[in-house]
Amino acid sequence: MRAPEDTRLRRSLPRLPMALLRLLLPRAERGEVLADITAEYAEHAARVGRAEARRWLWRQAIHSALPLLGWSWWRGWTGFEPRANAYRPGGSMLRNLFADARYAARRLRARPVYTLVAVLTLGLGIGGTAAVYGIARPLMFQPLPYANASDVATFWMPGWWTEEEFLYLRGNFPGFRAVGAYRPGDVTLRQGDAPARLIPGITTSSELFDVLGAHPFIGRGFQAGDDAQGAEPVALISYGLWQELGGQPSIIGTRLMLDGAPQTVVGVMPRGFWFPDPAVRIWHTKPLDPQGRNGSYTLVGRVAPGGDIRNMGSQVQRLTEMIGERFDYEIGADKTQNATLTPLRDALVGSMRPALVATFVAMGLILLIACANVAALMLGQVEGRASELAVRSALGAGRGRLMQQLVVEAVLVGIGAGLLGAGLAAAGYRVIAGALPIGAWAENASFDWSIFAAALVIAIVAVLLVVLVPAVSLWRGDLRGTLTRARTGGIQGRGGRLERGLVVAEVALAMLIASAAALLVRSVTNLYAIDPGITTQGVAVLDVVSSTGMGSAERQQKVDELVRSLESLPGVRSVGAAMKIPLRGGGDSFGITVEGNPDAARTFTYFRIVTPNYFETLGIKLRGGRAFDASDKPIADDDSTTEMSVVVNEAFVKKYFPDGNAIGRRMGGGFTSPQRVVGVVANVAEAALTDSAAPVRYYLAGQAPWFGNSATFVVRTTRASDAAEVLDAARRTVQQVAPAFAVQGTTTMERVLDTAVGPARQVMSLLTLLSALALVLGAVGIYGVISHFAARRQRDWAIRVALGLPGSRVVTHIVGQGAALVAVGIALGALGTVVLARLLTSLLFGVGTVDPLAFAAASVALFVIGVAAASIPARRAGTVDPALVMREQ
Amino acid sequence: MTDTSSITDSPFAPLGVLEEQVVVAVLRTRGEAYGMQARREIERVTGRELSIGAVYATLDRLEAKGLLTSSRVVDDSSSRRLFAVTPEGARALADTRAMRERLWHGVNVRELLALARA
Repeated sequence: MRAPEDTRLRRSLPRLPMALLRLLLPRAERGEVLADITAEYAEHAARVGRAEARRWLWRQAIHSALPLLGWSWWRGWTGFEPRANAYRPGGSMLRNLFADARYAARRLRARPVYTLVAVLTLGLGIGGTAAVYGIARPLMFQPLPYANASDVATFWMPGWWTEEEFLYLRGNFPGFRAVGAYRPGDVTLRQGDAPARLIPGITTSSELFDVLGAHPFIGRGFQAGDDAQGAEPVALISYGLWQELGGQPSIIGTRLMLDGAPQTVVGVMPRGFWFPDPAVRIWHTKPLDPQGRNGSYTLVGRVAPGGDIRNMGSQVQRLTEMIGERFDYEIGADKTQNATLTPLRDALVGSMRPALVATFVAMGLILLIACANVAALMLGQVEGRASELAVRSALGAGRGRLMQQLVVEAVLVGIGAGLLGAGLAAAGYRVIAGALPIGAWAENASFDWSIFAAALVIAIVAVLLVVLVPAVSLWRGDLRGTLTRARTGGIQGRGGRLERGLVVAEVALAMLIASAAALLVRSVTNLYAIDPGITTQGVAVLDVVSSTGMGSAERQQKVDELVRSLESLPGVRSVGAAMKIPLRGGGDSFGITVEGNPDAARTFTYFRIVTPNYFETLGIKLRGGRAFDASDKPIADDDSTTEMSVVVNEAFVKKYFPDGNAIGRRMGGGFTSPQRVVGVVANVAEAALTDSAAPVRYYLAGQAPWFGNSATFVVRTTRASDAAEVLDAARRTVQQVAPAFAVQGTTTMERVLDTAVGPARQVMSLLTLLSALALVLGAVGIYGVISHFAARRQRDWAIRVALGLPGSRVVTHIVGQGAALVAVGIALGALGTVVLARLLTSLLFGVGTVDPLAFAAASVALFVIGVAAASIPARRAGTVDPALVMREQ
Repeated sequence: MTDTSSITDSPFAPLGVLEEQVVVAVLRTRGEAYGMQARREIERVTGRELSIGAVYATLDRLEAKGLLTSSRVVDDSSSRRLFAVTPEGARALADTRAMRERLWHGVNVRELLALARA
């Protein structure tokens, strides 16, 4: 009778609490405690019923969990083992873990080179990936600091709209709740007698903050009418600027001297707010002119409730009809064509995405290579330890336990690498941010703990990846068989297929980075090969901004004075000034009339106002006629009869004087005075480096008024290497001669060219660096695996050499093995590149994503390095004395 | 009156409440002091349920301190860990009790009970 009752009882025993207890109890005492519990459960069941007994068991399990876990931890930590258990198998779960950790630490300490290589390579990958993640996070993953930013979009191209167009459309944008217009509007700020300083800002219509759904943290936002004709201009300042100005709430209502005129501060934006980039610290209004043709405004709007930016076709259609009816557009500048809305996020940070994604992917690849490398090293260790593991297995160690040891070792390496990576990320994220083409975001990149968290997560993933391959090898391997094989040896030795697979993967990954870098090198070389039409070496560049309140005659006089003072600086050959220098975007264009060419009337061309030595200073070649000289006398503002001298470029001649004779021809547009062409200069990349040559006219400052409040001075030094040195003296000269001018920035013409070459250059530098790293890591991997391969088959070689095979054949064979692996890796990598190179499309110039030359360069580099890495262990194997090997085994 | 002058100066006294209960239970179940038995003894006397985990963790800690010792008793079907109090454990328990007595000295139990009933 008892037996069936027992069975019934056992069946009614709740499994879950028993399993929990089984998990938590130390192995040595598990059986007896569980038996006691079962017995007591039976007693309870007999006395108070099964339901109550089950409840009792649950209570036991739940209340025991915490003390048992603490107990396990304590035993593991202290290493305490009761006397009674001295001859019992196993300890607690944690105790094993601690023992394994100690054992792994001892093993790692005993192999410092392996440990160092593993920790360093993984640490580099983790640190790099975490740093790039930290930089990319605010740009790509964090929400923008505006309410429902997905409802906000910019219209057509940025910087394309005029005040006239905006004011015509204002309040009537179909499908939009509010639309604002803004353009760059850096201002000078003067406090007391201190030199003016430049505050990066934007000039905006009053709707901007309504569109963004952003509210000031103190004070008010802009109100309708703030930008009306005759209204007093008002400004909102950033939290950072407010702090610099004293951080007092009383700032609201005070007047700051901005651009030489008082402007009332009406609000302070909250900390963390930015628009359109983090460098901007002031948002101010100015009266909008209904006839204002001079634009460069960007329109930004919030769709009406229920609308969707991606589904605004009919509204956009209506809008193009409205502007088409009202305005006449020149072909090529027709705003009724190519009308598109760009979501705000894409408009603000979209341009940085390709560079960030490319860098992030490259860093991730480096991490993968590092993982493959460490996995290969560990796999080599597992195979090297085959005999030890086999003996342990024969003595009763289960595969699970052996696996646990492997994992513990990888975790230790991962902890080291994670710490190193977090340190590297903290130290290096600013360097990487500076090297990335992300503009103001780099200066505002701030370290936060998410980078550490990222490093930690990446380290965990890396460890899992690393341990995967050796674990598979261990699981599949025939441990006990190893013992017998080790005794007898084998002609072919063990396979090592996994190891070879890892090398192929490493080479393939390295190929991805190397060919991406090669593509960018080709692209950047193409960009630098473009002749910008100027001599960039030995030219210093100084950007100044004066207050808009300054009259154009006064500004002109100050510019002349500054040119003279700068020319008298030691080491300076010539100085020129212009409202806008080449390679920095389009700038202003005016309508034009050309004598004898009525077609010109509806076209616009760039115009530049320059000082006499401008062409000489920038090395712009004269093609015909003359440059400006002393015979060109200044013309007063009210004088509309004296003829102005104009210098045009070759593209201008080609477009407006098809017969090629431009010198002496009369033209008009822009100014009331008659104009005559006196000279022709070579084409210069006035806007962007890659633009085709555009027609440009140059006017002499003094004959044409110096409007706009900015000026750029170019200073050619007698020695090309002095360009950067002269900048300090130049800056001081500006402060002495024209304290009302704020120095906006100083640079050199070479840097201007670098900037014009664009993000591709910076991404290229980073990827070149990373591909060098990838090649080194790949070489380490190949070296390690080929060393193992050679060592495994040492006995095999020894026999063959003893039988007369020349040592050189051994070397050839081993190098051939290495070369074959590298070749397969390169082929796979090339396939991957075809897919991944699309990420780079927007960074490439004059080269497709599938470029044979770039592929060939990357392949050759990888192949040479791979074969070199394989030849070291091969040579060693080829020169070994067979007698020694045979005796050793 | 108990003689409270015979304090042995054990560094482990006073024992924690559960530690004290466990050592006493090991003494009371002399010869039968398995973990489970000790737990049941405490439950029986105090009338409170006690978790196995807490008892095992305490037994281990006491053994690590040298207040208990364990040995393995093997019978035909099973093997169990049996606990015994060491001389150091006995000293610690005696001291703990002595300290408690001194603490209680001067407390009028009758008044205490009256207060408790109020």
